[in-house]
Amino acid sequence: MDPLVTSLWVVRFALLGLMWLFLLAVARVLLRDVRRASGDAGAELGRLVVVASPDGQPAVGATFAVDAVTTLGRDLGSTIVIPDAFASTEHAVITYRGRAWFVEDRGSTNGTYVNGSLIEGVVPLAVGDEIQVGRVRLRLDRGRR
Amino acid sequence: MTAAAAVAPRGIARFRPRTRRRELILLAIVTITLGVGGLSLGMQRTGRPTVEGGTLLAIYVLALFAVHVAQSVAGRRTDQALLPTVGMLGGIGLLLMIRLPQDLVTQRFGGIELGLAQLQLAWLCLGLAIIGTLGIVVRSDAWLRLYKYTWAAIGVALLLLVFALGVDENGSRLTLVVGPFSGQPSELLKVVLVIFLAGYLAEYRPLLATERTSIGPLHVPPLPYLLPMLAMVGVSTGIVIIQKDLGAALLFYVIFLVLLYLATGRASWVALGLALGTIASICLYFLFPTVQERVAIWLDPFADPLGSGFQIVQALHAFARGGLFGVGLGAGLPEIAGRLPIPAVHTDFPLAALGEELGLAGVLAILALFLVVVARGLRIAAAAADTFRALLAAGLAIVVGAQAFVIAAGDLKLIPLTGITLPFISYGGSSLLVNSVVVGLLLALSDRGIEPPPPPRTRGAIMRPLRRSRG
Repeated sequence: MDPLVTSLWVVRFALLGLMWLFLLAVARVLLRDVRRASGDAGAELGRLVVVASPDGQPAVGATFAVDAVTTLGRDLGSTIVIPDAFASTEHAVITYRGRAWFVEDRGSTNGTYVNGSLIEGVVPLAVGDEIQVGRVRLRLDRGRR
Repeated sequence: MTAAAAVAPRGIARFRPRTRRRELILLAIVTITLGVGGLSLGMQRTGRPTVEGGTLLAIYVLALFAVHVAQSVAGRRTDQALLPTVGMLGGIGLLLMIRLPQDLVTQRFGGIELGLAQLQLAWLCLGLAIIGTLGIVVRSDAWLRLYKYTWAAIGVALLLLVFALGVDENGSRLTLVVGPFSGQPSELLKVVLVIFLAGYLAEYRPLLATERTSIGPLHVPPLPYLLPMLAMVGVSTGIVIIQKDLGAALLFYVIFLVLLYLATGRASWVALGLALGTIASICLYFLFPTVQERVAIWLDPFADPLGSGFQIVQALHAFARGGLFGVGLGAGLPEIAGRLPIPAVHTDFPLAALGEELGLAGVLAILALFLVVVARGLRIAAAAADTFRALLAAGLAIVVGAQAFVIAAGDLKLIPLTGITLPFISYGGSSLLVNSVVVGLLLALSDRGIEPPPPPRTRGAIMRPLRRSRG
């Protein structure tokens, strides 16, 4: 077959293919935008997963969405209620500032532990760190997007 | 740190350059596509691997990237898919113009004579400049929002000017000639109409959506509030009908119905509007011989295949020759006795030419590109901060979409043909510039950081429903 005819065919179909490739790329941009828009309402910054809980309250494996300010304690007004006998009424607070997590003990009787060590003041928190409030241990995970 | 130092970062932040990665990637694909298109055309024409019209394509791509860079430097968070999509459409149009005989349209500027593709390139670059400027500069919509009646008056005045001083071309008086330039103001009127309707509907929406008047068993919109709008739509549609610009009339009416539906959410009004539109069309059919001729051609173009039905018959043959994948750029459109089979191929029938040379796959891609523009516009409307902006964005998107539909369907003998342009692809300065204004405004509206809308004006007299007087 004549090389010119062959290459003409290739170029012609390359043109059509590129037009559709462009459409595909645009469609991806549009889709991502729509996803982001629909995700805005239900998006969570992070989540806490219960790792250990001797009394089963809250149950191991339970997850809680963590907002910009999340309070933990026995008080029923807390964002995450921890009905553990060794937890204080207002035990700790987790905050999200800028792009980082922080945890602060709110003067609890038994203290708050991050990865097994007792904290003082405001301590930065990384994803995957474990917080202990009373006898309940919770792990900070990335939020669902 | 003084107060001045605290203020300075904010001032800089307004113009902080921001990379537009997605736009860059999409523009790269556009560049490659246009290059391959030029190569395809050059190989078909000369038999050697050359890029036909390479300089023109290069200038066009440079202009696209210039707009991209300008937007990145300005650093507004505007839409990144619109410019590449419109750039692709314009590029395909430019390829078509390079491919068509250059003496189809020529214009002299001083001693330089410009052919079809060069003129189209000049218009495209001007259009891109408009898109870039509007997308960067427009940070407030007050100038549109507050002066809607002024805009409406300017639009109608322009049309009347054409009516009085215009030049007849192809049996319709559409063109206004000023010195070496000529333009079709009815193109501009569609944008003005959207601005006016968006402003009016946004202001009276609460009333229109709740209040109703009854004429017998029929629930109709509250007439006193509808009248200014109906007057504007009636006047603009009436003038273009008298000018025999039926495509524009159809477009205006579609815009009106869509915006009315978007603002009020009442399907019954749209049904009423469609019924009235149908009655008006039937009246027009009996009043104007042009309409009768167009409908007759539409129903059976083969009745007079060498006379009135010639263009449509040739267009249908072109689509048929194109098949699934087309015959290749530059290989179609056989000339009959040294002339193109479709005389108005560069304005009214670019889709037929592209259908022959790029086939169904190409035409579907082009239609999908228009769909992307509309989808983007509606997305911007959905995210808009208030009613005016939402209606404006939706209306602007509908302008492009409806126009593309009316002419594409006309080319394909789906509806009677009306002589309007295919946005961004057809040759024509007025059409390109006005559609660029549309895209530029959409870009400006898509910025999340745009100045917040003014608080609604609480004018008791307007917000309170009219009381119907009894007996």
